[in-house]
Formats: sequence, structure tokens, C-alpha cells
Amino acid sequence: MRQLRTQSGQSPPPEVIAAKATLSSEVLRLIQGRSRIQGVAQRTQPTDRVVPGVEIAPGLFLTEALMEWGCPTPLIDTAFARWQEPVAHRRLLHFDTETTGLAGGTGTRAWMIGAADWQADGRFRVRQLTTTTMGGEAAMLRTFATWLQPDTVLVSYNGKCYDSPLLKTRYRLARLPDPLSGLRHLDLLHPVRRRWKGVWENCRLATVERELLGVVREDDLPGSEAPAAWLNYLRGGSAVNLRRVLAHNRQDLKSLAGVLLHLARLPP
Amino acid sequence: MNALPDRYASDERVLRQPGDGRMLAQRLTKRYAARITGAFVVPGREGSFAPLPDDLPPALAQALRSRGIEQLYSHQAQAWAATQSGAHVAIVTPTASGKSLCYTLPVITAAMTQHAKALYLFPTKALAQDQVAELLELNQAGALGVRAFTFDGDTPGDARQAIRLHGDIVVSNPDMLHQAILPHHTKWAQFFENLRYVVIDEVHTYRGVFGSHVANVIRRLKRVCAFYGVTPQFILCSATIGNPKEHAEALIEDAVTAITESGAPTGDKHVLLWNPPVVNPDLGLRASARSQTHRIARLAIKSGMKTLVFAQSRTMVEVLTKYLKDVFDSDPRKPARIRAYRGGYLPKERRAAEREMRAGTIDGIVSTSALELGVDIGSLDVVVLNGYPGSVAATWQRFGRAGRRQQSALGVLVASSDPLDQYLVRHPEFFHGATPEHARIQPDQPLILLDHIRCAAFELPFIGDAMFGTEVATPWLDVLGEEGVLHREGNRWEWIADSYPAIAVSLRSVADGNFVVVDRTHGRQTIIAEVDYTAAPVTLYEGAIHMIQSVPYQVERLDWEGRKAYVTRTHVDYYTDAIDYTKLKVLDCFDTSHAGCGEAHHGEVHVVRRVPGYKKIRFYSHENIGYGPVNLPDQELHTTAVWWQLPQVVLEAAFEERQQALDGFLGAAYALHIVATVAVMAEARDLQKSVGSGDGAWFVSADATGRGQIRGSDGQPATLAADVPFTPTVYLYDAFPGGIGQSEPLFHRHEDLVAQSVTLIERCDCRAGCPACVGPVLAADEEAATTPKALALRVLALLVAL
Repeated sequence: MRQLRTQSGQSPPPEVIAAKATLSSEVLRLIQGRSRIQGVAQRTQPTDRVVPGVEIAPGLFLTEALMEWGCPTPLIDTAFARWQEPVAHRRLLHFDTETTGLAGGTGTRAWMIGAADWQADGRFRVRQLTTTTMGGEAAMLRTFATWLQPDTVLVSYNGKCYDSPLLKTRYRLARLPDPLSGLRHLDLLHPVRRRWKGVWENCRLATVERELLGVVREDDLPGSEAPAAWLNYLRGGSAVNLRRVLAHNRQDLKSLAGVLLHLARLPP
Repeated sequence: MNALPDRYASDERVLRQPGDGRMLAQRLTKRYAARITGAFVVPGREGSFAPLPDDLPPALAQALRSRGIEQLYSHQAQAWAATQSGAHVAIVTPTASGKSLCYTLPVITAAMTQHAKALYLFPTKALAQDQVAELLELNQAGALGVRAFTFDGDTPGDARQAIRLHGDIVVSNPDMLHQAILPHHTKWAQFFENLRYVVIDEVHTYRGVFGSHVANVIRRLKRVCAFYGVTPQFILCSATIGNPKEHAEALIEDAVTAITESGAPTGDKHVLLWNPPVVNPDLGLRASARSQTHRIARLAIKSGMKTLVFAQSRTMVEVLTKYLKDVFDSDPRKPARIRAYRGGYLPKERRAAEREMRAGTIDGIVSTSALELGVDIGSLDVVVLNGYPGSVAATWQRFGRAGRRQQSALGVLVASSDPLDQYLVRHPEFFHGATPEHARIQPDQPLILLDHIRCAAFELPFIGDAMFGTEVATPWLDVLGEEGVLHREGNRWEWIADSYPAIAVSLRSVADGNFVVVDRTHGRQTIIAEVDYTAAPVTLYEGAIHMIQSVPYQVERLDWEGRKAYVTRTHVDYYTDAIDYTKLKVLDCFDTSHAGCGEAHHGEVHVVRRVPGYKKIRFYSHENIGYGPVNLPDQELHTTAVWWQLPQVVLEAAFEERQQALDGFLGAAYALHIVATVAVMAEARDLQKSVGSGDGAWFVSADATGRGQIRGSDGQPATLAADVPFTPTVYLYDAFPGGIGQSEPLFHRHEDLVAQSVTLIERCDCRAGCPACVGPVLAADEEAATTPKALALRVLALLVAL
């Protein structure tokens, strides 16, 4: 065990080692055949550890940006989602999480939540909560809950099946009340599929934004690399890719709002 | 076929009128006295009753009365009192003694009065479905408003949400709890917050590797329950085993109140031990067990008794079914009276067989061990075992299938030619007086423990010096941290990987995929059966006659990779029997130590199971009418083993001839296996023994005379030239890929194991050898000058440290 630690360059505080039980060499040898020990590399000299935003709680950073985006009408027509009534744009909260993976279950966590809404003056506000430690999660969940009002309408892309249940699980595990249940939720994936399935190669957000909004991303970090970007940072690595995930997430939120407005303006 | 009526004319001499178990036992004893080597009666019992408890909800009491339950058996009343006092309870009473009411009463009461939830775990889906059907009937009888659902792999996705939210009683299995419920426990939050009872039935099946896994799943369940602030009460049920209370306590790691006295009335149970008659006195050959089983079952069914036959293999189930169908189902216009029941049938076919048995339209059923568990098939009168099932506990569980209230039942054990069977029928007291085997588990087996700490960390983070079962988790978490699946922050260890660990952990250690059998007769493409991976090489080779409800199909093509066997309906007068054998070769020796005049080793071995061919055997005459080759990949297993060897010079000095040394090694292997199984608390099937040469050139198996027979790598009997090195080796190996960590502790205790084996043999009361020490021996050996017992002791003495 000790030897493994030396190899991996990890040096836990000595008092911790003294206080706890250790596995016998026999057991270690036995389980090393089974366990896929990778010797997680710990960087000794972290180069770039700059996370954007303000640290509003230990391990939790908030960024906030205001921009011109979308020019919505005061009431958004939601007939495309087969809703009866239009929705006031100020009630809409677009959201998208970045997670540690797609495996599902209680072991997958959101390490970042991005949310965007239109201000009273029509400007588009993008707020992003980024955790830099696992301990920052509770503060992130609490902060996000304050962004939700009883009349908030969530807007997401596949959020009904993915982001929302995942966050509900995290609230439950953190023993916090779940602020999402009971809110109305516009998941744009389904109306997009109804209209364009079979027309485009697929209905992923990247395809939809290109086809409908003409968005072409440059230097985009694919969403599938987001888990590794955070894990690398968490283990002491560089924040470069973490910042690229933030940029990616911000673009996702803008595209989400753009697609919503596009759908709302389509003839029935 | 026209000759059949005459053939069974003698039956009429036995059967004058319909009877019960006692009368049939008497008639058989009178007619076949020479074949019956042991007869005893397990006396029946008057029922012991108690009134329905006053504190039952009136609606539930009313529902019970409307279903004809006016009073309880004493054990049901005891279980009620114990559960109401808050204790964990283990109920150990025979089959068909009304065990399920022991947990149904407290569970339904809690659901009705406190909206409390219950989780039921059964080892198989079939048992779970039985249970839900029973609950629904009771619920309907009293309009109790209790909702019970099965939750298993067949539950459709859209039903799952409703079950999680609205199920009062969720009936599932340990595999689903492990892979689907615990890793998604937040979705089950409401269920867990109100969870009051966990019912685990058939706990005797949770032993060995499987049981060790299940004990860890229970640890995880308790951990998740603690998160939701509940401490559910456990109610466990078991068939008769030697250590029910201890085993239940080992599984849930808490004290349990054991209820072991059944209050259910039973009739007398007559047990006959039956040895087939000698048909060739010169060769000492006996008639087959199959012919005798057929005869007894035929007589029983003709006397109007519902009869269940247990056979040891699926092929034998089909052969016996065919024979009985030839007698009783010759008229295709009438509904079938005989059915087969075994694993490998599609679920709906098994459900149909169960329904027909319960309804009483079936008179005879032929089954593998699949019916040993509590599948509800109603009451039976006669159980015939075609061969010893391998343990005393399993024998009684099977006999337990026979018996109606107040009416005597009959159980007949028909001995096969296997030495163990022959020993048993010669020594009825071994069987009659023996206590059933103990169920053992080893939840802290390092590999199993690591797997479940991994799954547990996925479910909830570990904080501080948390315990997992009896171990402090921290050093294990360190290992998982090194592996990169956990991340430590302060004193918290949290799951960080993008993986779902429970998927990679199979509780039953078989995950190679089932084979489907596809019927292509007349251009059809119908799946007619499923066969599990381990049974496929011996039942689905090309040319095999695969019987389903005794209808023969021939395997035309086996797609090994695609896990499919294509068959067509055929009409042949033979069945096929695979020839298979196992050999072992050392790949790597990790460690060596002196062991007396020889050496003990620990290392990695390669186990090969090969099916080189099959025999064609004609129905009824059972003559061998030909062989066929089988071209299948060897079934290979890399695992760990411990083994002992003695140098050739030492053996030559100690034994006059090589045959004696081989017999000694076989006996020593038998004794070491018994001692080692106890030492690592393994199930005998998880740890295997073998005797062979150190280099895999040959191996030894006991032949029909009980003598060690050397077989070459092709499986054929061989003799060694005098100048070939002679290094017999005893192996004990883990019967699981990669090993399950039993062999290393065995290596470290190798001196102790040899010493204990010597003690075991020396203290055994037998003269020449028996199943309790060096293995069953033949009658001829009991008077031999040099007994197998002495030979085994001679080998072991050479291995005792000086």
C-alpha cells in the first residue's frame, strides 16, 4: 500500500495512516489481480488553476454575464409543445448541467449548473455555478434552488430524462428539499424530434443549433469530455479545459433559448 | 408398444386398491423385500394450533376466515408474537407448513395500520410470482387495499415508477436489489422511508459464494436504510439445514429469534432406501436406478397417488418423462397426466406445469432440483429420488414435497451405481441419523467484499472511519481511490467514475449468457427452450437429441458465439449422453513450502472441461448403439489452486505398486476437500478437488470399481510406462474464474489441513473408508487387507511436517 502511494506521488497525512487499519499484504496481492488500479496521476506542479467567477461559498464559483440575445416577445407561444397557454418570458429558466458521466444512478453527480433567463430589460442573463471541490455541491444546490420560483418554467434539452432526475437525486442525497418537482418543464427535445426526426442526421442540440440558428462553434470542447475536464482539475490538474466546458455550457444555454424562440415562431 | 400392457401385468399383483403412502410402502416392501435396504417412518404430528391473534386488524382476520383459516399453527402464532415484539425472526419449518403466513400477517398488518412498506426477496422469479398471486388473493378476499407487485427484470419500464411509489409490498430477488434498486435508491426514497419489514425466504439457498454476495447486498441495504432513517425488521425463512439460526444471523449480522417447531399437522412419512437388484452376479452389475424409479413411479401413479420424481440431470428428466408418458399418455386425445419440469423451459411452460399440478390434473411430474425450492405445486403423495441428491439437507427438502395433512406419504431414494449412493443404501443409519449440512458464507472474502464496498460507495459516500459489515472500510477505500473510482476530500470518499459498478458484479458468478434453442422444423423459427451456459456443452452439441417434454429434437447446428442451437423435430429410438471430463494443469507457482517428504504449492492453474463425444443410447434396452464426435471449444477456467506432491522415490518406497498410491491420493484428496471446505467456510461446489499429474499429462478418476484409473489427456483410460515420471498430485481449486481467494489461505494452513485430515480419517468409526472420511468404498474393500483408508493415511503421513 505504502509502496503504491509512493509510486503515485500521493502522501496522505501520516496521522491518518497511523489511525486506521491496513490490509494485509496477502489481501492486497489478492485484490490487485482483480482491482483495476490505475495509479491515478497527481500533478505536483499545477500550472493553470484559474476558475472564472467569484467564489461565493467554499468550492463554489459563480459567473454571471448579461448579453443581448433573442429579443423575445413578452409572451412566448408554447403551442409547439402542445401547451394551452403562452408563457411570460420572464418565467422561463433555461438550464443545463455538466456531470461526471452518463452511467446514471446515485454515483453520477452534476459538478456544474448553468441557467439563463431574460431580464425585465430584455437582456439575456447567463449564470453558471461551478464546483471546484465535491464539498461545494451542497452550496451549489442551495444557490440553484434560490433561482427557482413557484411559477418558474424550466427549459431544457432532454432535461426531463436526464438533468432533472439527476438533480433530484443530488438534492435527495444532500438531504435538501427538491425545488424542481412541481415546476413546469419545457423539454425541447421532444418537439424537435416530432418535427425533424428523419429530416436531419440526428436531433442533438449541436445539429439543431446549426440547422435552425446557423451556430458554428469554434474550439468547442465536446460535451463527452466534460467529465474528464473536471476530474482532471479535481485531481490537481489544469483548469484550461474546465474553462472550455464553461464556454460550451454557455453556448448550450444560448442555443436552447434560440431554439425555443424559433419553435415559438414556427407556423402551427 | 403393443407389448406394453403385458409388460406391466405384474403391477396388478402390487396394486389391488388405491392407497396411501403407508400401504404402498407395505406393498413395495412385501414384493421387493430384497431391494429395500432401509425403511423407516418419520412419525406424523398432530397439529398444534393457536387462535387468530386479538391484535390482528379485523379486516385481515375476516379475510383469513373467508379463505378458511380459522386458527393459526403454533409456529405462525409464535412468529406473530416475535415480530410484534420487534425481533428479527427466522422461521425454520418443513415445506408446506404455512411459512408464508408467518410474514404475511405482520407485513399486511403494518401496511394496513401504518402504511408501512415491505420488501420480499426470493431466490427465483417463479417464487416471487407465486407469492404475489397469494397476496393478491388474500387482499381480494378482505378488500384490504394492500398493493403487492413483483419487481424483476421482466417488469416493464413504465410500471416501475408506479411500483416505486405505490407498492406496499415489493417482491423481488437479491440480484435486482443489487443491480437495480440500491444503485437507484433515491428513486425509491418514499419506499425506503417507510420500509418496515424485509422478508427473505429460502435463505438456505444463500450459501457459499452466492450467499457471501447476498450477505454483502444486505449490508448495503442496511446502509441505505440508515440513510433514510429506518431500521427494518428482518423475517427470514429457511428449509431445514443444520444451522438455521446461525446462518440467518450471519446473513443479516444481527441477533434473530429462531422458530423451529412446526405446528402444522403431518401424516406419517414412510421412507424406503432402494437398491436396484443385481442383474449380473459375476460382474456385480445392478439394474439401473432409472428402471427402478420408473417402476416405483408407475406403481404409485397407478395407485392413484400424485407422484413427483426427482432426476439428477435434465436428460434423465426427459427420459423418465418419456417412459411414464408411454404408459399413461398413450392416448393423445386425453389431457396429459405426466409432465416434465426443469430449468431450460420457457417461463410460461413452467407456470402451466405448476398450475396443472396445483389443480390436480397432473398425476406425475418429473423434475430436476428446480422444484426443490418452495414453488407451489400443491400436495403430493409420493416422492421418488432417482439417485442421492448429494446432501442430507437436499434429500429431506425433496422428500418434504410429499405429505398431506393426516395422510401418510412415501419417499423412496433409489440408489444409483455411484459409490456414494451405494454407501448410503448400505448404511441407512448414516442417512437417517445424520444432521443436515450447515450452510456457510464468508462475506468478508476479500474480492467479494471489495466488489460490494465499490457498489456501496457508488450508493452513498463513505464518511470517516465508517464500517462496512465487520470491517473498517478505510483501507478498502484507499484501494478504490488508487483505482481512480473514488475521490477523497477531507474525511469523505465519494464516487467519481463514469461507471455503474453493480453491473460488473454478478451475485451468481455466471454471466456468460444463455443459449436459446430454435426449432426449424418445417421452416419455422421458434424459440422453444433456453439452456444455461454451463449445461450447453453437454446438451446442445451437434447431433444431440434434445428432449422437451419428452419430444425429441435433434441439434443440427450449434452457433456457439451466437449462443443459439438450431434443432428439428425428429423420430428416433435413442437419446444421447455426452462424455465429459476435467483436467488440470499448473501455469504458475506463486509459493512453495515443504510438506513432510513432499511439497505444498500455491499458484495459478488451468482447468479444462472437454466434451470429446457422445454416446447414443437406445430407449428401454439402454444398449449403446454408437458414438458421435463433438467439436466444441474446451471450457477453460483460469483459477488459483493449492496442491501437494510427493517425490517418486518416496512413493516407490512407501507403496508396493502405483495403483495403491493412486488410490491413496484419491482418498487423501477426498479428506482434504472435506477439511478445506470447512476451513474456508466454502460450499463444497465452490471448491473442487482433483488428482492428476503435475504437468497435466494425465489425471485420475475413480472407475466403476472405485479404483483410481489413470486417464490420458484424451480422457481415455491409460497406463503409464514404468519409465514415465510418476508424480501424482492432489489439487484443491477455486471453481470460479480468477479464483475466489480460497486457495491462498488454504496454502498458508497447509500443514494444519493435512494434520486435520489425518485426524478426520483416524477418528472415523468406519473400518475401510466411508463418505465421512476418504470417500465411499465398495463392499469388496470393506474386507480388504489394505483398505482405502489405510492408503490415504499413508499418503497423508508422508505429507505431515517432520
